Amino acid sequence: MAATDVFPLYQPEPPEAAVRFESVTVERGGVSILDRVSATAPKGSCTAIIGPNGAGKTTLLLALLGEISYQGRIHIPANGGQPRIGYVPQRLTFDRGMPLTVHEFLAMGFQKKPLWFGIGRELRQRSLEALALVKAEHLAERRIGALSGGELQRVLLALALRQEPDLLVLDEPSAGVDFRGELIFCELLDSLRRTKGFTQLMVSHDLATVTHHATHVICLNRKVAAEGPPRQTLTSDNLTAIFGMHMGLVNSRSMPDNQAVCSAPCCQERPDA
Amino acid sequence: MPDLSPLYALLAQLLPFDCLQARFMQQAMLGLLLLAPMAAVMGIVVVNFRMAFFADAISHSAFAGVALGLIFSVDPGWTMPAFGMLVGLGIMILQRHTNLSSDTVIGVFFSAMVAFGLAIVSRDRSLARDLQRFLYGDILTISDGQILCLMVLFLALMAFQAASYNHLLYIGLNPTLAQAHRVRVAIHQYIFAGLLSLIVMFSVQAVGVLLVTAMLIVPAAAARNVARSAGSMFWWAMLVSLTSAASGLIVSAQDWARTATGATVILVACGWFLLSMIVAGLRREQAA
Repeated sequence: MAATDVFPLYQPEPPEAAVRFESVTVERGGVSILDRVSATAPKGSCTAIIGPNGAGKTTLLLALLGEISYQGRIHIPANGGQPRIGYVPQRLTFDRGMPLTVHEFLAMGFQKKPLWFGIGRELRQRSLEALALVKAEHLAERRIGALSGGELQRVLLALALRQEPDLLVLDEPSAGVDFRGELIFCELLDSLRRTKGFTQLMVSHDLATVTHHATHVICLNRKVAAEGPPRQTLTSDNLTAIFGMHMGLVNSRSMPDNQAVCSAPCCQERPDA
Repeated sequence: MPDLSPLYALLAQLLPFDCLQARFMQQAMLGLLLLAPMAAVMGIVVVNFRMAFFADAISHSAFAGVALGLIFSVDPGWTMPAFGMLVGLGIMILQRHTNLSSDTVIGVFFSAMVAFGLAIVSRDRSLARDLQRFLYGDILTISDGQILCLMVLFLALMAFQAASYNHLLYIGLNPTLAQAHRVRVAIHQYIFAGLLSLIVMFSVQAVGVLLVTAMLIVPAAAARNVARSAGSMFWWAMLVSLTSAASGLIVSAQDWARTATGATVILVACGWFLLSMIVAGLRREQAA
């Protein structure tokens, strides 16, 4: 039974799209992971893909990044040439003993000359600017193996911003970071998105993050169960449908400015958020 | 074929040891000084990619490559690197296009290579004598032709590393991240696998199947302990590999030592590694 048949889809005027998934289907070994997923991330939005574990959220991102093959189409309108994507992975599994400084990490995708001969002055400057955007200039000379989870996440964000992205893709930005760190990270992203004008697409199973920061939500459980602004989408009926249990996070009557309000502690602290 | 005598004369002058006055020693020295830095710079990426097992599997295909050459009566000097490259690229293709973990893929290849080599050898008793050469290597019999091959490979490989070192580090860190940020992952991985196979095959001739991985890994591992950045790791690996190669060869030729050259080179490199551990340990103490 398709959830879409039971719950009416919220269907706004089609906005200008930054990403359009058209009937994306992924199968692995005969098991369907994504089933005709059609959804849109509006341009300039903060779009969150939510869903339970195993719903195919990360698979959808990997399809978007061209890492896995899929049927259907993923359209990323770009003004001339390849779309510029900045990607912040959920976690980076790497050898922590590897001597690689944050400076080198940020320069290695851009510098033609091998790192044996050091990093060009201009690239250093650009990296410092990117680090300043995420308030992490003090990390520039550190080894990336010595960074904490939150610090590494900021450096990864700085690397993504260095791509001057049209589209910033984040996989579980709240994983591995404490609640306070996550809140700061999300606020940082909010203000960057406004000043830089990119579209933010993130995968999350953390509804508190989504309700605070997303302007557009795609509820995914192998298919798209619902899509739209948080206040129309994150109804308890929809959430029960995709998570399969009652989720009492969202009160659909008291949401100014297209943002949902949740029962998480942060909302008690900042009732105006 | 160009005459390499001036180079040999230069070597004998730069390293004025008695043992280096013989032509075969000069050839061995030149061969090692070409091979060691190539192995070291590839080793940095091997360590970073965690591909030591991959290198091992290729080295074990050496014997099967030689056996193939003898079956089809082609010079084993050609079939060995060609077969090694085939195996290396084959592993890379499987790794990229199947869901098997790379350990499993390599493990299957590895056993297939060893079994194939043994099966061929067991048919022909006279081949079994060659086995020892591949287990222990024999740099002292390197020919001018092989040295010229090494020189061409040296230029190609260093050009590739100079152009791709940064991107290889990127891919080693996280291929998906590199791909998303417009690094061409596949082509880098294939060229790397191909070159690595060639280096491994030449190293098999120098130090033998058993010690090939050491030739790749040990300089990079020592460099990792002392370097503070990925850039300086390259220079440390160069230093360790070149000094181990030169001093290993010279020590092995001394009357009091008379040891196998390949093994001596690796032992010196391992000495460097121990030293680097001590340095890293002292540094940690200072920091604490």
